[in-house]
Amino acid sequence: MPRGLAWLLLALVLVALPHGLSFSQQEILVFLTINVLLVASYRLLTLTGEWSLGHVVIMGVGAYASALLSKRLGIYVPVAMLLGAGVAALVAYILSFPLFRMKGFYFLIGSFAAGEVIRLLWKRFRDPFGGPKGLKRIEGMPDLDLGVYALDFFEPITYYYFAAAVVAFCLWIMWRIERSPVGLTFHAIHWQDKLAEASGVNVRAYRTRAFVLASGFAGFSGALLAHYIGTINPNSFDVEQMVFVLTWAIVGGTATFYGPILGCIVLTVLNEIVLREMGFEQMRPLVYGLIMILSVLFLPKGLESVVQRVLSARKTG
Amino acid sequence: MIVKFIKDGISRRRFLGSTASLAGLSALSAGLPGAALAAGKVVKIGFLAPLTGPVAAWGKPGLDGCQIWAEWVNNAGGIKIGGEGHKVEFIGYDNEYDPAKARAGATKLIREDGVKFVMMLGGDTWPGAQPVADKTGMLFSTLLPSDLGPDTSTLIAPAEVHPIYNVTGVEWLAETKPDLKTAVMCAQDDALGLPSVATYLAAFEAAGIQMQGDPLLFDPATTDFAPVVTKLLSTNPQIVCLDTCYSDYVHPITEQLFQQGFKGQIISCTADFYDQMIAKTSKEFMEGFIFQFPDFDDPALNASNINFQNPNGFFEEYNKRHPGEWGAVSWEYASIMDLWKAAAEKADSVEPDAVLAAMTKSGKGDHAFGRADWWGKDLFGIDHALVGDWPVVAIEGGKARIKGFKSIPDWYAKHGELLKKHMAAYGQMWNQRG
Repeated sequence: MPRGLAWLLLALVLVALPHGLSFSQQEILVFLTINVLLVASYRLLTLTGEWSLGHVVIMGVGAYASALLSKRLGIYVPVAMLLGAGVAALVAYILSFPLFRMKGFYFLIGSFAAGEVIRLLWKRFRDPFGGPKGLKRIEGMPDLDLGVYALDFFEPITYYYFAAAVVAFCLWIMWRIERSPVGLTFHAIHWQDKLAEASGVNVRAYRTRAFVLASGFAGFSGALLAHYIGTINPNSFDVEQMVFVLTWAIVGGTATFYGPILGCIVLTVLNEIVLREMGFEQMRPLVYGLIMILSVLFLPKGLESVVQRVLSARKTG
Repeated sequence: MIVKFIKDGISRRRFLGSTASLAGLSALSAGLPGAALAAGKVVKIGFLAPLTGPVAAWGKPGLDGCQIWAEWVNNAGGIKIGGEGHKVEFIGYDNEYDPAKARAGATKLIREDGVKFVMMLGGDTWPGAQPVADKTGMLFSTLLPSDLGPDTSTLIAPAEVHPIYNVTGVEWLAETKPDLKTAVMCAQDDALGLPSVATYLAAFEAAGIQMQGDPLLFDPATTDFAPVVTKLLSTNPQIVCLDTCYSDYVHPITEQLFQQGFKGQIISCTADFYDQMIAKTSKEFMEGFIFQFPDFDDPALNASNINFQNPNGFFEEYNKRHPGEWGAVSWEYASIMDLWKAAAEKADSVEPDAVLAAMTKSGKGDHAFGRADWWGKDLFGIDHALVGDWPVVAIEGGKARIKGFKSIPDWYAKHGELLKKHMAAYGQMWNQRG
């Protein structure tokens, strides 16, 4: 199938998709779309070989910043979202100074500690962050009056289209970054950082660049979330959520651009739709955990390896 | 729908009507059981609470209690509306104590399942469901009145006025053990812990009990409570107050108090699964432990002013089905249903606005522990909390026993300003939130 036709088909499916879902599944679709951006941004960070435990907190920085900018300063929500992403990127840049004095496991632990410091600041300072209860009644996307029609962004379908368009654009940028010389340098640093350094690459600067870019996109996903559900609190961005992001990335695989996205989609659909519909409401963590163990045992290279096998079989066949 | 025709916007009734029609249409077309149940006069009630995860202890036992309640009511002919019996069916949705999932769950329960009333634990999850409540006008209940506010007129707190009832335990303690004059307190630093801290501070001040230092607020992620307890005991207090800690904290803290040789008085909002705490410490150590949630086999609950139907039988049936799982919320959601059923029958309708009007019309309601007032404007900005007497419970010989009932409104009439002062200091007044 020609590539252009495949993309067109995918776009049509994504446009038609919510109309085949129930109301609550549409809600889940919105959260799934936002999480796709989060997990894809996480992969961008891992391109240089560093895994962070603070990515969800950075998402929260974007959420808090965007919510506060719109609540306190009355900034138009889409602009506040962009600024929220910018604040997340800025915080990541500041954090990069201490964090990139570390590598590997130490970076992982350092990022966790930095994330916890940020979370504790949200809890400690009730003004402006709302303390443990967080922020409520965050402005939603304002309704858009098109004359004949009005777009009501409270409705999940409407917000899904908005979020999907934004996420698609962000994914395209991330794809372009990965394919650019900058992205190739990220890969080089991942696999041969000493060699890259010997070749004149400023490894720390490139790691910072990946961290800041990924954080900007994560911040945007946080802003999308905050202005949809209308409330955020420090627990929304705790280590438990981070474990979900890691799980999506590991189960999906991080070798390809689509691996973590695939992991996020499959596991979310499994947990939020399939298991609920099958009546495993209260046993979901058990079944979900079991399926994860099985997938790691039998698909150690992630779900992306299945896709790759199918694609290579089609090529050779 | 992605688009809506503008000009007059969309009303709550129209919103509910259109979505309920869609839900009904899809059920009919698919031949789902829901369609058959509708023909059999069934009223669906939503149960939107954490059924898994760390807060599940305050959700799942409530759903289990509601299932017993529904069986009893259905066997007795159901809810009488328009001269006909309507059976009650509970539809649960596990929100995992996550506001995003609370929103998805509220949407499902209202727009797909067509429920007429939604019960929640509240707390962090209520703000997620709040826009759905505002949009649909659905009647919601919460166990945490700190969710109440004048912005949402369809949220009620009819079972417990957490944390205000905690004043009754301190008041009883001051009356029966007047020699206890010093206290320390610890709590998790979250939406449940902080208003409770403010309440206990007011109660201790009103009782003339001196706090030995500021309350020790620990992070909810804490797992090692040895240093917390060591710090608490460093001032040699007579009373240790465990605030409204989750049972995951109450148990290890109590265990640490035992191990570190504390000999004084313990007071706590809850003591869920206290038999396990006794097993980890000793019957002697736990003797006199004060909390606020009785076992329903207590003879004191057979008094004529108690409105909960057959509490002893309920407790027995609950323990038969779910041995060892009785907790603070096992009866609470069922007691809300008693109130809702009475209001629905009075209104001769299950529609949310009619039930709410019937429930609050006289300004009084039949709370599980007796006749009570719809109250709360001072603290919550709206009189949607049902407040009356509350039991003080102590462990005696390894068993929880009600020591007496104390009136919350009477305490508030005397010490309301103290409570407001401490609530304001912790940013817990309705106009300080979010």
